[in-house]
Amino acid sequence: MAKAKVTFSDVNVTVNVPVGTRIIELSEAVGSYIAYNCREGDCGVCLFEVIKGRENLSELSDQEKTVLRAHFQEIMDGWRAIGDLDKLQARMQRENFIGKHCRLACQTQVFGDVIVAPL
Amino acid sequence: MNKPVWLSERVQWIGAFDPDMRSFDVILKTPNGTTYNAYLVRGSEGVAVIDTVKAECADQFFARLEAVCTYAEITTIVLNHLEPDHTGALPELMRRAPQARLYISQSAQLMLKALLNRRDLDFTAVSTGDNVSLGDRNLRFLHTPYLHWPDTQCTYLEEECILFSGDVFGCHFCDERLFNDKVGDFRFAFEYYYARIMRPFREHVMKALTLIDPLPINMIAPTHGPILRDQPTRYLQRYRELSGQRLHKELNAGEKTLIIFYISAYGSTTRMAQAIRDGAEQVAGVRVSLYDMEGGDADLFIDLVEDADGILIGSPTINGDAAKPLWDLLSAFSMVNVRGKLAGAFGSYGWSGEAVQMLEGRMRGLKMRVPLDGVRVKLIPSAEELELCVQHGRTVGEHLTGSNAPRVIDMADLLASRQPEVESNATLTRE
Ligand code: FES
Ligand SMILES: [Fe+2]
Ligand SMILES: [Fe+2]
Repeated sequence: MAKAKVTFSDVNVTVNVPVGTRIIELSEAVGSYIAYNCREGDCGVCLFEVIKGRENLSELSDQEKTVLRAHFQEIMDGWRAIGDLDKLQARMQRENFIGKHCRLACQTQVFGDVIVAPL
Repeated sequence: MNKPVWLSERVQWIGAFDPDMRSFDVILKTPNGTTYNAYLVRGSEGVAVIDTVKAECADQFFARLEAVCTYAEITTIVLNHLEPDHTGALPELMRRAPQARLYISQSAQLMLKALLNRRDLDFTAVSTGDNVSLGDRNLRFLHTPYLHWPDTQCTYLEEECILFSGDVFGCHFCDERLFNDKVGDFRFAFEYYYARIMRPFREHVMKALTLIDPLPINMIAPTHGPILRDQPTRYLQRYRELSGQRLHKELNAGEKTLIIFYISAYGSTTRMAQAIRDGAEQVAGVRVSLYDMEGGDADLFIDLVEDADGILIGSPTINGDAAKPLWDLLSAFSMVNVRGKLAGAFGSYGWSGEAVQMLEGRMRGLKMRVPLDGVRVKLIPSAEELELCVQHGRTVGEHLTGSNAPRVIDMADLLASRQPEVESNATLTRE
């Protein structure tokens, strides 16, 4: 079976996975600080950052797009206390994050090597 | 009965007393009840109502309000915080004073829609720098989020230097004399409220104090408990003390702290704890403290937990469970912010070793990071097993300082190590 490497940069762990694996199947087990809640693409809690290899991830579904958009709005409104909120908001204003650098861990499947991190 | 209380000629308290309440939101004990403070400000060209009360106390609120104004006079409703104890009477107030404009914080918008379930809702979202004028009285808004919800804000009455602060600087203390120079001794309630409600947000408290500091303050009017008119700035100072960095952290900037809490039945888990400590201390820049929870009470350690970068918990497995003092310790973790701290567990066991995974699960639930599998040892640790504990400690230390060697693992192995073992063999399980 085809394999891919997923590197979680916050804990410095690389996992060899079969292609098609979802990020969330790994993130908690390696102790990465990528959080999750619903596991169904609803809540947006599992936002993570793609540092390298975004072309190796599954396409964005419409649902993921909608949830991402809603949750970026919440971040902009100050609704989510994640890390350094001011910095994140500033960054989001500069770049179009949706689907580019940020994805949902419970939705995103891996098809090639990637490096990921919590937001 | 139900008379308003004058803070000044133009400002009245129109809140509610709830002397029989004995516990608030389940987590807070309220041995003499609480108050829901709402206020009315009268200007030459308008009347503002600042916050309301919980639904069950709405009668008191409306009676006091009606004693000082008519509904038609109300131009402005300010909500500093949308929790139901302050918005319970809002729908009825909006029905009686439909012309009044609603002012809420930017972050309160989503929640307000959910709270009132109305599509046609009209309001103004405000932030630091925004004002609303009542003619010869002006309200200014301060964006002070996360005290203790994302939506919280404070409102400042310019001409009288009164800060309507919302929950922050409040406490659950019900005394009809209402002013801090008249009521009984409420210091305990004040500190307790801070510890249970505000403390997890202490960084946000510091940010809020930066906004408040430049303002002259005659009075702090919070949403619960006494109105602070006698030496109000002392309460600001107290919050600053409580929220500031503790000495240890300042003296040892850059150092990572690891705390190991454990309980031992026959000394095995103690020896493991010591070996893990020895290993972690080999990593430069890591400072380790060891605590036997048999000699301590969970509450005593909360300061340490708050400041720690990493926390390990060691427990023997007794009747298929971790020892109770450790569960008590974990339940106290909710008093501070532990999100993202490194965590792990370890322990010895007789014939089944569930405690370690149960503790790890709980710590994951608290959104702590558990990057390494805990070490488990059957019965008495051998020299070899203790050496593995030392190595484990070293790896934990390296994770704390970010100097851990990159690790490559197959998914199948990663997931296998997360399965609870049914019948354990005598060997040590390790990542
Ligand atoms: S966990 Fe809820 S959207 Fe991914
Ligand atoms: Fe509240
Ligand atoms: Fe409250």
